[in-house]
Amino acid sequence: MKRISYHRTASAPVKIALRYIGLGSWIGAHLLGQPVSYSHDVHPILAQRCLSCHTGSSAQGGLSFESGEALLRGGVSGPAIVPGASAESLLVQRVRGALSPRMPFGGEPLSAGQIAVIETWIEQGAHWGSRSVEPDLTSVPLQLSRPPVPDLDLLLSSHPIDRFVSAYWTAKTITPGHGVVPDAAFARRTYLDLWGFVPSPSQLADFESDERSDKRTRLIDRLLANDRHYADHWISFWNDLLRNDEGVIYHGQRSSISTWLLDSLRNNRSYDKMVRALLNPVDEDDPEGFLMGVTWRGTINASQRPPIQAAQNSAQVFLGINLKCASCHDSFINQWKLADSYGLASLFSDAPLELVRCDTELGTMAKPAFLYDELGVAPTNASRRDRQEFAARVFTSPENGRFARTMVNRYWGRLLGRALVEPVDEMDRTAWSPDLLEWLAAEFVTNGYDLKWLLKTIMTSKTYQLASVDEMDQADGYVFRGPRPRRLTAEQFADSVSAITGEWPVLSGNAPGQALYSREWRQKSSPLTRALGRPIRDQVYTTRNQKATTLQALEMVNGRTLTRMLERAASRQVGTFREGPRPDFDSGVVTGNPARDSRSNGEFDIDVSGADRLWLIVTNEGSYDPSRVFAVLSRANFTGRHGDVRLLDLSAEVRSWSERATVEVDADSVAVTPPVEFEIDLAGRELERFRSFVGVSQESRKSDINPRVRFFVFTEEPDRRRLVAPTNDPPLVAPAAADGPGTLVANLYLYGVAREATPDELRAAKAMLAEGESPAGLDPRSVEDLLWGVFMSPDFQFIR
Amino acid sequence: MADETRSIKQHLTRRRFLAGSTAAAAAALTGTAPRPLRAAETVDATADTVILLWMAGGMAQTETFDPKRYTPFEPGLESRRVLSTFPSIDTAIDNIKLSSGLERIASVMDRATLIRSYQAGDLGRILHARHQYHWHTGYAPPLTVAAPHIGSWIARTLGPNNADVPAFIDIGQNLEIGAESDGLKAFHTAGFLGTEHGPFLISDPRDAAAAMRPAGGITSDRFRRRYENYQALLEASPIGREGSDFQRESWMRSVDNAHRLMMSPAAKAFDLSLESRESLEGYGESKFGLGCLLARRLTEVGARFIEVTTEYIPFRFWDTHENGHTRMARLKELIDRPVARLVLDLEERGLLDRTLIVIATEFGRDMITEGRPGKPVTDPIKQPEIMGELKHYGMHRHFTGAGSVVLFGGGVKGGHLYGETADERPCEIVRDPVTIEDLHATIYQAMGISPDHGYEVEQRPFYVTRDGKGKPIQEVFG
Repeated sequence: MKRISYHRTASAPVKIALRYIGLGSWIGAHLLGQPVSYSHDVHPILAQRCLSCHTGSSAQGGLSFESGEALLRGGVSGPAIVPGASAESLLVQRVRGALSPRMPFGGEPLSAGQIAVIETWIEQGAHWGSRSVEPDLTSVPLQLSRPPVPDLDLLLSSHPIDRFVSAYWTAKTITPGHGVVPDAAFARRTYLDLWGFVPSPSQLADFESDERSDKRTRLIDRLLANDRHYADHWISFWNDLLRNDEGVIYHGQRSSISTWLLDSLRNNRSYDKMVRALLNPVDEDDPEGFLMGVTWRGTINASQRPPIQAAQNSAQVFLGINLKCASCHDSFINQWKLADSYGLASLFSDAPLELVRCDTELGTMAKPAFLYDELGVAPTNASRRDRQEFAARVFTSPENGRFARTMVNRYWGRLLGRALVEPVDEMDRTAWSPDLLEWLAAEFVTNGYDLKWLLKTIMTSKTYQLASVDEMDQADGYVFRGPRPRRLTAEQFADSVSAITGEWPVLSGNAPGQALYSREWRQKSSPLTRALGRPIRDQVYTTRNQKATTLQALEMVNGRTLTRMLERAASRQVGTFREGPRPDFDSGVVTGNPARDSRSNGEFDIDVSGADRLWLIVTNEGSYDPSRVFAVLSRANFTGRHGDVRLLDLSAEVRSWSERATVEVDADSVAVTPPVEFEIDLAGRELERFRSFVGVSQESRKSDINPRVRFFVFTEEPDRRRLVAPTNDPPLVAPAAADGPGTLVANLYLYGVAREATPDELRAAKAMLAEGESPAGLDPRSVEDLLWGVFMSPDFQFIR
Repeated sequence: MADETRSIKQHLTRRRFLAGSTAAAAAALTGTAPRPLRAAETVDATADTVILLWMAGGMAQTETFDPKRYTPFEPGLESRRVLSTFPSIDTAIDNIKLSSGLERIASVMDRATLIRSYQAGDLGRILHARHQYHWHTGYAPPLTVAAPHIGSWIARTLGPNNADVPAFIDIGQNLEIGAESDGLKAFHTAGFLGTEHGPFLISDPRDAAAAMRPAGGITSDRFRRRYENYQALLEASPIGREGSDFQRESWMRSVDNAHRLMMSPAAKAFDLSLESRESLEGYGESKFGLGCLLARRLTEVGARFIEVTTEYIPFRFWDTHENGHTRMARLKELIDRPVARLVLDLEERGLLDRTLIVIATEFGRDMITEGRPGKPVTDPIKQPEIMGELKHYGMHRHFTGAGSVVLFGGGVKGGHLYGETADERPCEIVRDPVTIEDLHATIYQAMGISPDHGYEVEQRPFYVTRDGKGKPIQEVFG
């Protein structure tokens, strides 16, 4: 590719290469010499060049390229391919032109490279999956076996998981290299995995000084017993799986299930009960949102109608089966057919579904059925409720081993950084220890699908507690040597920073005075949390991307979200933080005209006696075009000993919070474009009350800009970034301010990375701190920088 | 103790290995990233950079790049008689006329290929965010896989022109705009390609310098000191001394990269205060104008894909539900000067040859037809049959039957017209319709990417154009 002149600004070639690496894996990872895969290499060619003629019942020459079976069966001329013998394969002869007519018929011949790919694939045995070593798709029985616990204890532990791992290692002739992590590291891991934030120094100290031999189990029990923290952490995992997001709609259908989900976790509703409610919501409080899916206004592609979405999502999340391909055509990557997807979708549909292949209606109606006939026959001529009841029953049937296997595998992956079967949505693949997977799944069923039991069982094993091993999957397969280090998730990061500094996010409502401290998950996603991997939950997300990226680091290096958070956090640490004053008046969100709509406007009549200054603030609350919105104060008057004074007769400093402010006045009212602030001087006037009617101008109301504004009056200087102070307690009690640099650094290290700072670290950290006039004797900016430094350190960022 | 010694040695070995490894090996080690498909053939690039000028909200084609018969306003005028509310003007090319108000762009049309036959997606009842999603990704939601923005496809496939500049920069869109915010957020992402290929967002070009400066009240001195102190903290940490592992290395490299980007000479490109008064005026000083100026500066230092939007806010800018004529005059003023300036500035710097500028919008507009001809959709915008007031005079309905796209530079022909629409209502496409797949394929071809290039995600191939079937319009290339 031609390079343009400005490239001379880059440095020497070697350096450039290294920098490119740093910027992410943009260089295509063409791994030479690896086996040719069907979906990766061959399918793109066939789809592009062959499929338009050779598909469906009207396939040319009776040859369909739609599935492996169809290709082997061939058309009127015989089988299209002979696995292992490319020269004998009709397909190769035709595309080479060795046999007439050359294919593609009447089109450009395939390139030499494309033909080579097809030949190599056939030579290598014409495997259909994407990877070279294919699991035998029929070898995983639906039913769970319950393998006996092996009598091997390389880990000196009687825990069944450790016994299975011992057997695995013995078979692989692996000697365990690392022991379990020390108490502090274990506690940090456990708090993050069960509550979603790091343990405090005193919690660490309590745990470390506990001399009981079963203290690790006790800690797990204690943390699991706190329903609130546990639910506030695990809900993010379920939100990702069930693609639940608060308030994210696209003018189509979507319904939040947060209330139900939180309640399920707090009450430890069993996994099978949860899924029965998701697949067959009958009670008023049951979650309808899961089956409803996510739609946008307008016409929806046949393969994305809500019942089909429900089939795709339930199969993926609960069974580890990918039906996405088979929602358009018979799958190229697994055994599922179009009719299977539609059969499952029919269980969640009011009306019978007509099969649609790649946007072509086939004229056949789907027959309601579950993917595995052996689990039961779907009721015919039944209501949707009956079919859903059937779906709920067969998905969660104890005979359906996939149901338990899929979820225990997800939990294992979440807790140890790499699941037993990967990818976690392809449960036809072989686990690195099939016996361990079977045992864990079977015990999960025996224990009533109790999710807390599952967590406890995995976490009490020495296997979970082993030191982490940073190894990636190698081409020849994965070998388990220990858990992988994990990046903190977006929520774990934000909640841990909040726990350490006492600075929690606030969720504000539309009603006056409505503001609550919250955990991060309740907030809308921010640039920071999106950069840290919180997904836009339009699709099911079963893993979070853990990759460090430059854009992510930029967001943390100079993004506003984190900077503002740390600024407030630092002022808390040095003892200068003060919660802003409560407003004397808060209108909540108003949309009405003060003269006309008595319900959707506001009015106030407040005591201002004794106040020297008054702050009147009008904010924009989501109007489409704030520059065209006029917020109106009508009949805004003060009363006092020396008579009434109109607002517009007082001198005020007007500060716009945006680019420009417009203020219009007439005899009766003041109209302003939000956001705007008036600081009004009342000194010496001896005023007693201030009253007004507030709302938006009639002109704004008639427009299409959805005017929404909010009025505040303060008699003390407000905290402009948080006008409405939270009314609840924060999720954790805020830590006390530091009394000097020594305690600040010591605490920060204990809290952040669960160990004492080394003398060198103590020195380096103290060197960052500058003296200042605060109760802690420190300059808050230097504290802010130190907080940032520790939160950016790998020790903080990872669970090790 | 023996164990500990061994593990340190392992760390050191891996560290050395990483330092000496190739880019491909490092990429492979990260594991889960979607793999590119091998089957795609490569094509010769005619451009190194794309600048997408996005006319958000649905730009009326008959009032801009595809003028029809002009009927001046008078009270009592029938809506169905009006095709254009402006007269046509001549351009640098005989057979190309534009709508009045675009005089400066008209004078550079000899550098442009004008496509008048863009066929927007047929998505039923109109939702701007959804049509914009479709334009930017080539796919219509809902989808089983999160589709990447075209800028992300390009950033992922080609990487940056200059490692010190983010490959994909998106200028001018505030993502918090009320009810349709979520729709915008849904496609301002790299989708399944992963966040590293997502847009570097600058919602207001006037704040662009801040995007490369420390946030809040942090001075650059303090910023530099903070970074040095951070490195000192890491140096002092016990793990820092013992060696490292892959994940840790990769995180620290990201932090280093972020600082390098901010401190590199290329970061100055973000600072519009370095431009002369004259230059700022040349671009019109509006938010969009300054976005174009910023795009020029970023092109000069090697950005790969830049989008500058007039900004989508429901009922604003090109989303002209009423008072269309009056607003259209202002909108043309908004884009005329900066677009022409951008073309000429790049040309003067010798960069236009290798920079493809694309002016595009999610669909066109019409006074009568909502949706596409013969396929009316529900809830059309109110438009009286007989116009009483000037505010009724304009293209207020969303028209998916035809729209215009303009291409400058980057290897496309100058003074070329492609596609045609009828001269009478419904003014549908009569020649050479261009779908989003074909338009994208054309842009990709200019960048040297085949339309059937793709990646494997969840075992399935996912292509830069839908099913890999986009066909580049070969005629537009010189």
